[in-house]
Amino acid sequence: MRRQISAGRGGIRFWVVLAAILAMIAAACSSGDGGDDGAAPDVDTEDEQPADDEDDGAGPAETGGDITIAIGSEPTTLDPQARDDGGERAVNDNIYETLLNRTHDGELVAGLATGLPEQLDATTWQFTLNSGISFHNGEPLNADAVVFSIERIRDPDLGSEQESFFATVTAAEAVDDLTVNVITGEPDPILPARMAGVKIVPPEHAQSAGFADEPVGTGPYRFVEWVKGQHVVLEANDDYWGGRPAIDQVEYRFIEEPGTRLAGLLAGEFDLITNLQPEDAGAVPQAVNITGTEHPIFILDADEGVTSDVRVRQAMNYAVDKEALANSLFLGFARVDDGQVLSPEFTGYNPNLDPYPYDPDRARELLEEAGAVGASVELVGTSGRWLKDRETVESVAQFLRDAGLDAQPRIFEFTEYLDRLFDREARGDGIYVTSSNDLLDADRQLATYYAPSGIGSSNSIEEMQTVIDEARQETDVAARQALYERATEIAYDEALFIFLMNIEDIYGLSDRLEWQPRVDGKILVSTMRLTG
Amino acid sequence: MGRFALRRALQGLVVILGVTIVVFVVTRLVGDPVSVLLPLDASDEARRAAEARLGFDRPIAVQFAEYMRSAVQFDFGESLWQRRDAMAIVIEKLPATFLLVFTSMGLAVALAIPIGVLAALKPGRLLDRFVVTSSLLGLSMPQFWLGLVFILVFAVNLGWLPTSGSGSLRHLVLPALTLALPAAARLGMLVRSSMIDELNQPYVQTAKAKNLPFLRIVGTHAFRNASVPALTLAGWELIRALAGYTVVVETVFAWPGLGFTAIQAIERQDLILVQAIVFLVALIIVVINVMIDIAHKAVDPRVKLA
Repeated sequence: MRRQISAGRGGIRFWVVLAAILAMIAAACSSGDGGDDGAAPDVDTEDEQPADDEDDGAGPAETGGDITIAIGSEPTTLDPQARDDGGERAVNDNIYETLLNRTHDGELVAGLATGLPEQLDATTWQFTLNSGISFHNGEPLNADAVVFSIERIRDPDLGSEQESFFATVTAAEAVDDLTVNVITGEPDPILPARMAGVKIVPPEHAQSAGFADEPVGTGPYRFVEWVKGQHVVLEANDDYWGGRPAIDQVEYRFIEEPGTRLAGLLAGEFDLITNLQPEDAGAVPQAVNITGTEHPIFILDADEGVTSDVRVRQAMNYAVDKEALANSLFLGFARVDDGQVLSPEFTGYNPNLDPYPYDPDRARELLEEAGAVGASVELVGTSGRWLKDRETVESVAQFLRDAGLDAQPRIFEFTEYLDRLFDREARGDGIYVTSSNDLLDADRQLATYYAPSGIGSSNSIEEMQTVIDEARQETDVAARQALYERATEIAYDEALFIFLMNIEDIYGLSDRLEWQPRVDGKILVSTMRLTG
Repeated sequence: MGRFALRRALQGLVVILGVTIVVFVVTRLVGDPVSVLLPLDASDEARRAAEARLGFDRPIAVQFAEYMRSAVQFDFGESLWQRRDAMAIVIEKLPATFLLVFTSMGLAVALAIPIGVLAALKPGRLLDRFVVTSSLLGLSMPQFWLGLVFILVFAVNLGWLPTSGSGSLRHLVLPALTLALPAAARLGMLVRSSMIDELNQPYVQTAKAKNLPFLRIVGTHAFRNASVPALTLAGWELIRALAGYTVVVETVFAWPGLGFTAIQAIERQDLILVQAIVFLVALIIVVINVMIDIAHKAVDPRVKLA
């Protein structure tokens, strides 16, 4: 008799039984929430601290608990001075500190220094340090450490990518153990803001080979481990001079794909995720947002072509409905700019300017006056680099077409786009860019985009150049403010840009996390609380 | 057999040389790497300084000569993005990718063979129809989408598995499945059709008539003949996974392997790291190809070099 193996009746029965078993398992296990994971990370390596987030009294818990934060990219180094790296900053903002801090809204206040510096003369600023602070490894926080840190960040051997922020600083000297003088080459009114950007490092440890892998600072969190490709873990600094922070331990994970970050938050694996897309804000347990420092604009060519006529440029501003853009593209997570590229929190912001209103009739009028109806205008942009970059270019092009211009959007791959951005001749009539601002001060943005000498500027207005150059060295606060107001006024009247809006940074939080975001985009775990 | 292997290996070497040259040309053609390294508003002098530091201001012929000279020593220089030896980064990330890819391909083969064989035994019947339909479904689904769906269903809704990352067997399940499923579907279809062809051969009828045990017919004779095209496809799937699909799957699952690193290197215009990655992956692919050809020859000595 032939023995056969066949997928006959016996085989079918097998599949049916298997399917039934799987269905039962699925029904039993499915409970809707994140299962047993909770918020504890799936870590194989070190032992976890017990999640201590039960309160013994009424009201929200004040101490204890571990959280997990998911950011978009892994740090390339944990040396706080070497690179311009968002991932590194996200971690090191909790380990290291600076001479001056900022409030939520960006105002400069005391940090490691007791307060704002005293200006001894046009180029010398004196900082007094708080006493009794030490680094996590015991080294003392004193004037020598500050001098060392400032000199290190300017050291050409280090090749720091942040160096250009401190190019104005020529020297630092220790006057006594707790007093430091910082000297600039020329008068530099932004020096205090710059000092909010130098992280102070321990001189001895910073010279050791493993410094980039083992950060040691004065901050509220100390470094535990960095398993490359997987996570960074920090724990609370019990001896922190500002008082022990609430959260015990924080784990950073690096998830580049926004959909996966979101999934992790929904599954209960993360407590905080960054760069939440506006359309996902409704899906998360908590979404918090704040107007950040990002301002998308179009740089218009004021020197050549159709846009060299100021009426055409003004028309382009009247033609765009910025409210509609903010509401439809960004779902309301954006604030229309007041005719300038600066946020109200920035030094140099001009409170006298208002946005160009949406007035398509006025736009058409101006175009007719200028004889530019039907003129062809090229709008250059890129895709996927900034939030809604391509959509913004395409939408603005549509608004311009409605007003009567033949607007052509041209989207390039990022490096090709950069080539055009930096080449004044090839820039096109209007080029999209998102301008951001680390120092919360008008100088850098205006010097780049407004001043004729700036690499991102497309105009030749002499007064603009003089005003900005003067303001750079003007240490009298009121005089400086007046100069910047003049600069922004000129740019507004001359419609050097299509002014758009200020985009908000949106973060997704789990139910149990309490946290307020900051204008400067720093994620400070010491300001976080767990509730319940 | 020895001569065959040697000639095959030499052909492979030529391919690698070609790839090394092409990747240099292509990465140099696309844009200026320095402008991506520095913040947008960095000054002109900062850019010049960075260019000089990285050697990009030298004439292209000089850069090429330098590149070829070090490439043969497996030295591609320092990654622009991570500021450490590029080849060291590649070697560091390779094990994670190998783990993922080989596990997936193992899974794919383990799924495809029994399913393909079982379907071929009774073509046209229920199991067969089920296999064909689900295979078509499996190989039509884009992996990006499949990965996200798996995350949504198994990690977010059911909570059985982690959404992303690596570090334990549980982390490996979803990425490996995502990578394996379309490959298993394609392989399964091929196994099925090869087996059907073989089982219709006269020698199989003869063997049945002689009352040989069916298992032996199927397993030893028919399968061995049918396995040759399947072997080719399996090798091809492995290469496709390594060179392409793993990039997508690793990015979706934040699996810290070479594919994820490649995407990041490209985004950051780190042409040094891109060169190192392309070179090593090309090397691995050539080696795999050579091994497959040699295995072919071992299974079927009639194979000749093209």
